[in-house]
Amino acid sequence: MLNSLSNLFYRRPQLLTALLLGGPLAWIGVVYIGSLFALLIQSFYHLDDFSGTVVHEFTLSTYAELAATANLQIIMRTVVMAALVTLAASIVAFPIAYYAARHARGKWKALFYLAVMMPLWSSYLVKIYAWKLILAKEGIVSWIAATLHLSWLLDGLLSTPIIGGSSLSFSYIGTFLVFLYIWLPYMILPIQAALERVPNDFVEAAADLGATPRQAFRDVIFPLAFPGVIAGSIFTFSLTLGDYIVPQIVGNSRAMIGQAVYTLQGTAGDIPLAAAFTVVPMVIMGFYLLAARRMGAFDAL
Amino acid sequence: MNLTKTATLTLALGTAFWAAASASLRAADMEKELNIVAWPGYIERGESDKNYDWVTGFEKETGCKVNVKTAATSDEMVTLMNQGGFDLVTASGDASLRLVAGKKVQPIDVSKIANWANVDKRLQDAPWHTVDGKHYGTPYQWGPNVLAYNSNVFKEAPKSWSVVFEEQNLPDGKSNKGRVQAYYGPIYIADAAVYLMKKKPELGIKNPYELNKDQYAAALDLVTKQRALVGQYWGDANKQVDDFKNEGVVASSSWPFQVNLIQGDKDAMAKTPIASTIPEEGATGWADTTMMHAEAAHPNCAYAWLNHSLDAKVQGDVAAWFGSVPAVPAACKGNELLTDTGCDTNGAANFDKIWFWRTPIGKCEAEGTCVPYSQWAKDYLAVQGK
Amino acid sequence: MRSEAGWGLKLAAGAGIAFLHLPLALIVLYAFTTEEKSFQFPPPGLTLHWFSAAWFDRPDIWPPLWLSLRVAAIATAFALVFGTLAAAALSRARFFGKDQLSLLFILPIALPGIITGIALRSAFDIMNLPFSTLTIILGHATFCIVVVYNNALARFRRLSPSMVEASMDLGANSFQTFRHIVLPQIASALLAGGMLAFALSFDEVIVTTFTAGQQSTLPIWMLQELIRPRQRPVTNVVAIIVIAVTFLPILAAYYFTRQDEHRQG
Repeated sequence: MLNSLSNLFYRRPQLLTALLLGGPLAWIGVVYIGSLFALLIQSFYHLDDFSGTVVHEFTLSTYAELAATANLQIIMRTVVMAALVTLAASIVAFPIAYYAARHARGKWKALFYLAVMMPLWSSYLVKIYAWKLILAKEGIVSWIAATLHLSWLLDGLLSTPIIGGSSLSFSYIGTFLVFLYIWLPYMILPIQAALERVPNDFVEAAADLGATPRQAFRDVIFPLAFPGVIAGSIFTFSLTLGDYIVPQIVGNSRAMIGQAVYTLQGTAGDIPLAAAFTVVPMVIMGFYLLAARRMGAFDAL
Repeated sequence: MNLTKTATLTLALGTAFWAAASASLRAADMEKELNIVAWPGYIERGESDKNYDWVTGFEKETGCKVNVKTAATSDEMVTLMNQGGFDLVTASGDASLRLVAGKKVQPIDVSKIANWANVDKRLQDAPWHTVDGKHYGTPYQWGPNVLAYNSNVFKEAPKSWSVVFEEQNLPDGKSNKGRVQAYYGPIYIADAAVYLMKKKPELGIKNPYELNKDQYAAALDLVTKQRALVGQYWGDANKQVDDFKNEGVVASSSWPFQVNLIQGDKDAMAKTPIASTIPEEGATGWADTTMMHAEAAHPNCAYAWLNHSLDAKVQGDVAAWFGSVPAVPAACKGNELLTDTGCDTNGAANFDKIWFWRTPIGKCEAEGTCVPYSQWAKDYLAVQGK
Repeated sequence: MRSEAGWGLKLAAGAGIAFLHLPLALIVLYAFTTEEKSFQFPPPGLTLHWFSAAWFDRPDIWPPLWLSLRVAAIATAFALVFGTLAAAALSRARFFGKDQLSLLFILPIALPGIITGIALRSAFDIMNLPFSTLTIILGHATFCIVVVYNNALARFRRLSPSMVEASMDLGANSFQTFRHIVLPQIASALLAGGMLAFALSFDEVIVTTFTAGQQSTLPIWMLQELIRPRQRPVTNVVAIIVIAVTFLPILAAYYFTRQDEHRQG
């Protein structure tokens, strides 16, 4: 019985493919995508301001509302933050991943692996609250600054327009640092995976052909590792784009997309506008994924 | 898969979206449970502290197993109720009328609730749960939004909310910029309106929750200017305690809960002593109502809980645990946990100075047409973004 | 040949690792603080009290912990089966729309959690599924599948088709081929994907907020504790326990995947 089934699959590979794909496809392709579409449809309704109820008629007025200055600012702020976090995460992650992949050996390698995995395993919320204590006005950073007689430096930083604030934990700097911290492991892991796949022969060949280590890195290793960076950036970018907990705990109360969605669909009951807000990350990530696929990032995810 | 088929299917799913939320409720044949959405600390079964338990006895007596889903914000409460699956919710005034308008809660027959007679007469017909003479729930607890201040900075209690609304030098000679906080919820615009009632009588504000266009614009303008003074808006009570202790916040609208918490902490009081007052303009306050879902699957258990929740002992215990004032005056005397001074500590004497939270709606008594809450929410989000 | 790392690289890597661990050190430190409700720096005193408090006085810790373990385990198992199947299918087959389909499979992880959460919540409503442990698991499985799928796909691509053909030529059926040829080669990728999926599920807050009924997973319990803490250091104690308990499995997984890759050469 098992054999004939097996033969059937061998002769008709499409059948096997269909069977293998059926379950997950039905779930993600129909249920998940279907409800995303439903969310999209909601954004074409609008909220009647007087009664506070949703009017189920096609309109673009909700999108007109989304284009209001305050809402565009929310979108810009979130996208810029996500981009900066992603950029910083790739810069901080690369040396860690590079060392772990190409230099660390034996016990050291295991230690690096643990060092990256451990933060991933400690509670997201407890980590955020720990950061609050680090960044507070009377927290660890300012304590260290005072001990080293560097308070002027911290004060100078905090008096910088836009990114400053009354304390680190009440400023964009704080939000940025916490995002960077929380998502960093998601950047390190794919870069490390991509770097480990760069065959040593390539690097040796480059050296044999007279490339300096710097040239070998720039022309051989980095291009091969870049899909890993893109893969990691999908995580860091999208996670930052939708998070509503971090900016609520550490930051200056200027809303990001996640908070706007959460508030609008909650007490305000403005589901159409909330849905229109969710369309923004959907569109951004859609383009991002298409671009990422071009660069071959999915082989390294 | 055929493309048209996929499209049809997604469209079908789409049309049914949200609207089908209520369909997920299925009545149980035998009521053996009760699902409640509550503020953290509102429904305790002695797991944190054995003395604070008003659930176990209820379960034994009625056979209704109580499941609690705690919600951190009013947003979350409304979201959960919209999605369904719950019998009761302890809604604050910035959520209750919205729940009524959205037909998510049902009128309560108070004659089925023996303890109804115990409820503070002033709360029985309160407008945040009574619509067209129908009661959409029973009062649970209330409290004022006090002005909490650092008593190292203010040797005397500030007399006006102006210390948080207008840029000025505080008694210690330094500006209040970056040292005050405001509540993160849109309902805070009403605090500005309360301040303006005294400060700018020419606006003619009669009720801070019923604002016409001009009055609203003035209140919005005030909170917009306030943005420059506020480092971070506070949303969760405990985080505000941290802010008083570690972030140099010296004055803010607050709840007795935070003030009691800091005053009970010797280390904190040595460093940042906090006291509270109700300024001459009066204050806003919150009064929470236990409301029943329109499609509650366990109505009998729900009614049993509504009655139980108004028991004087339960009311006193909740007030002691949460730092609130009971909706049942009898609870203020003879409760071991609350003690006889507890109600005063939590602000019971201030009832008449308080404008209780309620959801602003378009159709209003004071002005005919008022700015509705959905507008408050959008604008306040924008204010915080400035 | 591996050259010695330059001091610049060492410094950057070391600083990065330090950045990752400073907050963890703090979490450990504040498990010992004498403060009960709100923290300040430096802690006024140290005590071991919270460990005994967590163990003896707080029965409310264990059901959420147990639920989280169950949810993560089931969601991961689910993801291992279906994620591998999907990866196998998409790596070997050629058909119209394959590229679009593979893009689709990334969406649950590429879209922010709040979107996935809201979308799934409405889907469960429509399907008449009451919010329960099952809906939490389905929610988590949605993104766990993607993680496993990605890991498995990368390995399938490197898998030599000639070995599969040789196995079939020698008379093995597809099941035997899978068991003896394919599985050993993809095992380490599955383990790595499974570990990551488990970790993601175990610590997930946002999707869970939307897909849970009255159940609390451990992160939801933490959220409640942090919003209205009674014994705040207890949350740190729980975080430490989780780190301590997962330490050995992570290490074991590491050595397993290493050996496996060495064997493959």
